[in-house]
Amino acid sequence: MDITEAIIRLSETSGASGAEVGAAETALEMLREYCPDAYISKGNVIGIFPAAGENMPFVLLDAHIDQVGMIVTSVTDDGFVKFAGLGGLDERLLPAQPVVIHGKTDIRGVICSVPPHLSGDGDTVPDIASSAIDTGMTKDELEAAVAPGDAVTYDVRCRRLHGSRLTGRALDDRCGVAAILYAVSLLRENAPECGYGVVFSVQEELGERGARLAAYSLKPDIAIAVDVSFGLAPGEKAEKCGILGKGPMIGISPCLSREVSQGLFSAAKSLGIPYQTEVMEGLTSTNADQYSVGGTGAKACTLSIPLRNMHTPVEVIDTADVELTGRLLAEYIRMVKEGD
Amino acid sequence: MELKERLRELCLINGVSGDEDRVREYILGYAEKYCTCRTDPLGSLICFKNGKKQGKSLMICAHMDEVGFIITYINSDGTLQLRPVGGVDTTAAIGKQVIVGDPGIPGVIGSTAIHNIPRSERGKIPGWDSLYIDIGAADREEAEKLISPGDCAYFDSDFTELGGGSGIKSKAIDDRAGCAMMMELMAEELEYDTYFVFNVQEEVGLRGSRASAVSVAPDFALVLESTTAGDIDGVQGAKRVCCLGGGAVVGFMDRSTVYDRELYRLAFDTAEEYGIPCQTKTMIAGGNDAGAIHVSAGGIRTLAVSVPTRYLHSASCVIKTEDLYSSYELVKRLAARIPEV
Repeated sequence: MDITEAIIRLSETSGASGAEVGAAETALEMLREYCPDAYISKGNVIGIFPAAGENMPFVLLDAHIDQVGMIVTSVTDDGFVKFAGLGGLDERLLPAQPVVIHGKTDIRGVICSVPPHLSGDGDTVPDIASSAIDTGMTKDELEAAVAPGDAVTYDVRCRRLHGSRLTGRALDDRCGVAAILYAVSLLRENAPECGYGVVFSVQEELGERGARLAAYSLKPDIAIAVDVSFGLAPGEKAEKCGILGKGPMIGISPCLSREVSQGLFSAAKSLGIPYQTEVMEGLTSTNADQYSVGGTGAKACTLSIPLRNMHTPVEVIDTADVELTGRLLAEYIRMVKEGD
Repeated sequence: MELKERLRELCLINGVSGDEDRVREYILGYAEKYCTCRTDPLGSLICFKNGKKQGKSLMICAHMDEVGFIITYINSDGTLQLRPVGGVDTTAAIGKQVIVGDPGIPGVIGSTAIHNIPRSERGKIPGWDSLYIDIGAADREEAEKLISPGDCAYFDSDFTELGGGSGIKSKAIDDRAGCAMMMELMAEELEYDTYFVFNVQEEVGLRGSRASAVSVAPDFALVLESTTAGDIDGVQGAKRVCCLGGGAVVGFMDRSTVYDRELYRLAFDTAEEYGIPCQTKTMIAGGNDAGAIHVSAGGIRTLAVSVPTRYLHSASCVIKTEDLYSSYELVKRLAARIPEV
C-alpha cells in the first residue's frame, strides 16, 4: 500500500462533519481490499477481523472520517451564501479562502474578505456570522443548486512538500485512516491471535458522536483512537507538541488505560522504531474519551500523528510518522494476549 | 489570443514587486512583434507603437508586479520567516499554499494552531511575526539547500471560472488585468502614436512609474488598473465603492490623485456614446500609479480605467468577465480620443 497516495486520495475526498458520505465511501472501498465484508452503519465505516483463538480480547482501531468544514444556512438576496462552522474553524484564515459548496453539484466559491476601506484599523478578524461565500452566481441560480444544510469544505489540493512531508486539508484525521489501513495491510500478511476491528467514525469534530455509537455497538475490550496531535512549529510550546518525523505519540492520561499505553511502548521498543510520549492531564479530546466510558467501558488509549496548522487547509504531516503509526498498531495487535 | 486567456497566462506568472523579470519576459516576447521596446534601469518595459496620426503623446500603462512575500530568515527548525511585499493582510496569507523562490518550491503559510491560542487572543488579527512558511524542510541546513533569504514567495492559486464562466478567481488580477488589456490593444491598429508602459514596483509605493513617466514624459497618461469593489454581503450604498457587473471604473479622485476633470468627463461621454457600462467610485479609496505619474515631468494629464475587483491583494481576487471586456472597450475608444483633447 502506498501511504502517500492513500492520504492524498483521502484528503481530496470531501467529508465535513455530518456529511461524511463521500469520504466514508472512499475509505470503505480502500478497507474492502483487506476486509470484503466491511460496511457502513449509521455513517461509521466498520470492518471486523475475527479472532483466531478463543477468549481473545477484541481490539478496536478508530480514526475519524469527518473533517472540519462549514454548513450552508441561507442564500442572501444579493446572491451570497451564508454559513455556520462545522467543528473548530480557524476564523483567522477565512477571508478570501477558496471553498467548495457541496450542493446538487460541487460549486466553487471564495469567502468574502472585507476590503481595507471598510475594515478600518480594527484588530479583530470577521466572525463567521458576518462572513459569506461569493460564488459568482445569482440568487436564482443558487437556489436551484444550493440548499441550507449543504456542506462546505476548503478548496485545496493535497500536495507533497520537501522530503516525506505532505500538506492538505482534512489530514486531521485522514492520515489516521491511512495509518490504520496500513496496519491492516501488515496484519493480513501475518494474522494476530486476537480479534480486531476498524472503525472510521463520523462527527468527531462535533463532539466525538460517531465513536459513541461504535463504542456501544462494537463493545471493544481495547480501543485505540488514532488521531493527530499538535506538531512543533514556530509559536507552539514544545511540551504540548510532537516533532514531525520523530514517530507516533503514545498517549498517557488519567482517562486512558496505562496498560495499553505500556503495551504501545513495548511494541515500539520491540520494533525498534522511534516514538514520542504525549502526556495529558485529563480528557484527550479524541474518540478515546468515548471508548473508555462507552458501553460497559474499555481500555482506551490515543496514538497520535504530529500535525501542524490543525483545522486549516494547510495542515502539514510527515508521512514517515503515518507509516510508523501503522507498523506500531500492527505490532501492538500481534502482541495482545488472552486476558489483556 | 483572447483577452480572458491572455489574463489567465499573465496571472499564473509569478512576479512580486522588484521581481518582475518573468512577467516582463513574457510581455516582451509578444510586444516586440508590434512595438519598439526598451527596458528602463528599474525594469519597467517601455514600448512604442506608431498610430495613423501623430498628435499629442499618450502613455498607457499598467503595473507588472503583484503582492506577495519575501523570505527574511531561515529558522533553525527549517521554517522560514516572511514579510509581505505590498499590502497583504495576515488573514489573507495564513492558511494559503505558496511557491517559494526561482526553483518553485511548494510551501504553506502556517501559524500557531487555533486551539493553542489563548481565548483572550482568539479573533485578533495575527502579526507577521507569528506566521511562517513551511516547505517541509526538517532543519535549517535542509532549507538552505532549497532557498535563500531574499527569495520571494508567491500565492499559489489557480485561475478558476466562477458562476459558470461569468466570473474569474485568481491571484494577481491586480494588475495583470491592465497588462492583458495593453497587450490586446497594442496588436490593434491605433489612431495615435502610443507608448505602452509596463511598470515595476507599484505595490511598494508607485515607484516604477515615477521614473518611467519622466523618461516618456507624455502629454497624457491612461492608467489601467484593478480597483477594490466593496459590493460584498452586508455592505450597502456608497461603501460598496464600485460593483462587479457595473462596468469599467473611472474615479474622479482617490487617495493619491484628483483626476483630470476633462478626461474624466470624456470617459463617461465616450462610454455613453458607445453604450459601454461604466461606473465611478462612491468613496475616496485606493490609489494607483496615477499618483506618481500626474505630478511627474512637470505634470501629466492623467486618467485611470479600472476593472472592479473583489478581494484585491489576496490569492483569490474575483472579477466579472464582462467588466474586463467593458474596461477594454472603453480604453480602446479613449486611446483614439484622448490625444484630441
